[in-house]
Amino acid sequence: MSAYIPVIGLEIHAELLTKSKVFCTCSAEFGGDKNTRCCPVCSGMPGTLPIINQTAVEYAVKAGFALGCGINKFSVFDRKNYFYPDLPKAYQISQLNLPLCINGLVPIEYEENGEKKTKNIRINRIHLEEDAGKLIHDDLNGVSLADYNRCGIPLIEIVTEPDIGSADEAKAFVEKISLLLQYAGVCDCKMEQGSLRCDVNISIMKPTDTEFGTRAEIKNLNSIKAIGRAIDFEIYRQSKLLDMGKRVVQETRRFDDNRGETKSMRSKEDAHDYRYFPEPDILQVNFTDEDLDAIRAKLPEMPYQRLERYLADGLNENDAKIIVNQKILSDFYDAAVKAYNNPKSVCNFLIGEMMRRINLGEITPENLPFTAEQFAKLIEMADTDKVSKNDAKDVFRTMCEKGGDPEEIAKAAGLLITNDTGKVMEVIEQVLAANEKAVAQYTGGDQKVFGFLMGQCTKELKGVCTPKVIKEELEKKLKSL
Amino acid sequence: MDLEMVKYLSKLGKLNFTDSELEKVAKDMTSIIEIMDTIKEIDIVYEPIKDNHNVYLAGLREDVSMDSFPTDKILQNAVNSESCFVVPKVVE
Amino acid sequence: MDVTALKIRDMRTMLDKKEVSVSELADAYLSRINEVDGKVESYITVTSEEAKAASAKAQAVIDKGEASPLTGIPLAIKDNICTDGVKTTCASKMLEDFVPPYDATVMEKLNAQNIVMLGKTSMDEFAMGGSTQTSAFKKTKNPYDIGKVPGGSSGGSAAAVGASLCAAALGSDTGGSIRQPASFCGVTGLKPTYGRVSRYGLVAFASSLDQIGPIAKDAHDCAIILNAISGYDYHDGTSKKIDVPDFTAKIGQSISGMKIAMPKEFYAEGIDGEIRDAVNEAAKWYEKQGAEIVECSMPSLKYAVAAYYLIASAEASSNLSRYDGIKYGHRSDKGDSYNDLICNSRSEGFGDEVKRRILLGNYALSSGYYDAYYGKAMALKQKIREEYNSIFESCDVILTPTAPTVAYGVNENISDPAKMYQADICTVTVNIASLPAISTPCGYDKNGMPIGMSIIGKLWDEATVIQAADAYEKQFSYVPAKI
Repeated sequence: MSAYIPVIGLEIHAELLTKSKVFCTCSAEFGGDKNTRCCPVCSGMPGTLPIINQTAVEYAVKAGFALGCGINKFSVFDRKNYFYPDLPKAYQISQLNLPLCINGLVPIEYEENGEKKTKNIRINRIHLEEDAGKLIHDDLNGVSLADYNRCGIPLIEIVTEPDIGSADEAKAFVEKISLLLQYAGVCDCKMEQGSLRCDVNISIMKPTDTEFGTRAEIKNLNSIKAIGRAIDFEIYRQSKLLDMGKRVVQETRRFDDNRGETKSMRSKEDAHDYRYFPEPDILQVNFTDEDLDAIRAKLPEMPYQRLERYLADGLNENDAKIIVNQKILSDFYDAAVKAYNNPKSVCNFLIGEMMRRINLGEITPENLPFTAEQFAKLIEMADTDKVSKNDAKDVFRTMCEKGGDPEEIAKAAGLLITNDTGKVMEVIEQVLAANEKAVAQYTGGDQKVFGFLMGQCTKELKGVCTPKVIKEELEKKLKSL
Repeated sequence: MDLEMVKYLSKLGKLNFTDSELEKVAKDMTSIIEIMDTIKEIDIVYEPIKDNHNVYLAGLREDVSMDSFPTDKILQNAVNSESCFVVPKVVE
Repeated sequence: MDVTALKIRDMRTMLDKKEVSVSELADAYLSRINEVDGKVESYITVTSEEAKAASAKAQAVIDKGEASPLTGIPLAIKDNICTDGVKTTCASKMLEDFVPPYDATVMEKLNAQNIVMLGKTSMDEFAMGGSTQTSAFKKTKNPYDIGKVPGGSSGGSAAAVGASLCAAALGSDTGGSIRQPASFCGVTGLKPTYGRVSRYGLVAFASSLDQIGPIAKDAHDCAIILNAISGYDYHDGTSKKIDVPDFTAKIGQSISGMKIAMPKEFYAEGIDGEIRDAVNEAAKWYEKQGAEIVECSMPSLKYAVAAYYLIASAEASSNLSRYDGIKYGHRSDKGDSYNDLICNSRSEGFGDEVKRRILLGNYALSSGYYDAYYGKAMALKQKIREEYNSIFESCDVILTPTAPTVAYGVNENISDPAKMYQADICTVTVNIASLPAISTPCGYDKNGMPIGMSIIGKLWDEATVIQAADAYEKQFSYVPAKI
């Protein structure tokens, strides 16, 4: 089986975060009651025409820049014709010969047999198209119900060259794309909601072969894990076929998440002849150099730039990568550092305490019960001895459970260190009065009893004062005797 | 145009023909294709850029979302149920 | 006085002077429809009730002294233009019961002027044809001879104008569908520059060629309607952001010095002798008025019909795919699977000609044939445009016959689709090149059937085309249809 080399190309569909749909003014937000985000245009009524969304085009180009693509300054839309009940016009407006973006390059890092590797994956193209609606299957009545809310949500399709050689590479690539699109601010990349979806084209070949094998296309994978499992299964399946002297059939397959297997989609009765032709209702798009410069200038700080910044701030590379690789965490980190400018300290607490709670499933980065400012305040309190390092962890646990201001939580739990010198003096005097013998020993020159006296004071002053202050005040007092 | 081609095109267009209709359609299409074939003698190639209408990014619709249509108006010409269009069960 | 014989501008004067009320005017047409349309069969739907309500509204506007040029004018609308709440059938069984949930942009514009819509006119099914005999509902007849076709596809609109069953009408023109029926019915039809009038709400046949335009008693009335319906529309990305001039502005200006080209290929074999003579006579008249006739050539005309049918059918095959019986339109009662339901619905809902165009379009676009057919047709489109550009370098307008023949018998030709296609030779290049063109009567044949000539203008220069047509019409001896 290992005699075969997998050849994998991906088609990633990403929904763009525009306010309105790509060809009409209906809301492009996720969800909504059935068929409430529809108009004559997106529901394919006779006589309606598409009017293309400027921001959708801009976002597609932005994605192109984020993925290192060149931009076609003259780009054409085409109709892809096929019948399916989730596609009301029976054609999808897409792009064939002159897509918005071409020839990109995306570097990935991944592990293979415990070894860190890097690779560049070429992007063939990114084009803009429209999403289809949703079918709800009503088994009871034996019908399907069509909801067109999602019809016309702008999508970009990112098509790679067949540069991917394993499930691990594919997963790393999709994670990287997801990260880049999120940083570019064009897609939220929520695979579970379908805003990022992936089709896998996969074939296998012998090292001695000069041509690619016959490929299968696995449609609509909606988690990173599923992508990896589907690829591994497909390599196994195709290898077995070839080992037995059989042939791989060119077909579309579906991944069954429960069984971990890909299955041939009931061979559609349709001929796969999409009869693409230029969309006559849309008069192309042109860009001036100024247009493209302006879009490029709107591109926010990208992951590699943020990594550089973090390294310059003194974070170690490993930690910096962990933070950068989750945009939502990275944004949180940046906000925290803005509130308390101590990058290393914030990083340590985030990587140590916060990640631990996230990994335990106690909190999710998308829905934190506390703000970055509250988080920063806690770290600052620990750093300035307002709460002990150990107690800070307890305060954080409470923040994770209930949220709230760290100072108030520490106060309520009696963990707040006030360094109230009046109180310190009071306690020291009480302790010294109660231990006259020890005091006498000390003044007599036996410095060893200091530890005992210090211990007594610390016990009484727990949470009020740091040991450092107690020591200073106690020494001062004893000297004055 | 042969029957196989007519059958293939009917499939693409989601049209059914009876066998006798098919014969007639093939005959009609053959004479139509004869007219179409006149263009085969001229040797020219379409150049998309020549059809450029010079629409630039700035000329495209601004991304503003507006109210959608009432669901009942969207469904007024359709067999519908639960605010949806009713389709015979689709199996993948 | 028979108010139904009036021009729009005369109706305007009478309405504003209160010599006639809007409802009197509308009723005159409605009763004439009642009397005559049984023979002509120009209307698929007559909207009497709506017309009454619209009349009252229009009258109120007039009474307030706020009338627009078309306020209270009774118009007919081709049945492929969407009207909110009023059936829009495209003369197809497929859309027999289709009630659009919205108004076409042209309807919004006309309604803003408070027109009185009398009804929706018949046409060839989905505007595919030149005879109106492919209509699933009303096979309209020619008002000059009810044994003859009115032309098409806007045959209902042209016949309704010719028979004085409306003051004027809207049609749509993809390959001659306004001009050819106008010529058959002895009236004037104007196809505007592509992008002049919004297509939003026009049920698409061939998106890159379709254009809505007026059919009226003369060019001046066409100009008044064009004034009302023109302009960039937010809902149509192919409508042009360009100033709309007053299309009546050049009416009455001298045509002396106007350069009129007559490409020789338009006068070749296949054009009826009487028609050639009539158009040549008209050219002589123009020359007498000081116009200059320019000889020229359009070598690619011989490929035009093929290029047109390939492009139009390719787009149509895609545009008509949405009719699946699910969202609207005819839904077969047979078919348990999606595929069966859609095949049955389409097979039952579409007529023969529509089916042929779908097959042709799919042929032109299918893999293996694309380059030879659709690709080549698109290249020819560019070549024809270039040929027009070079002709217009030395002329202002082009004069051609509108059709190779006058109106033919209702049972002729229709059985031979290939022959029908060839008959579009005079009109299709205008759509291919996006140009404006008007057809106006220039004579009658030995049987008294109207002959039309076409005046083609430069892009966006409808005003000159209207000027030239109007000049000729002012001296033309009309023979009204006797029906």
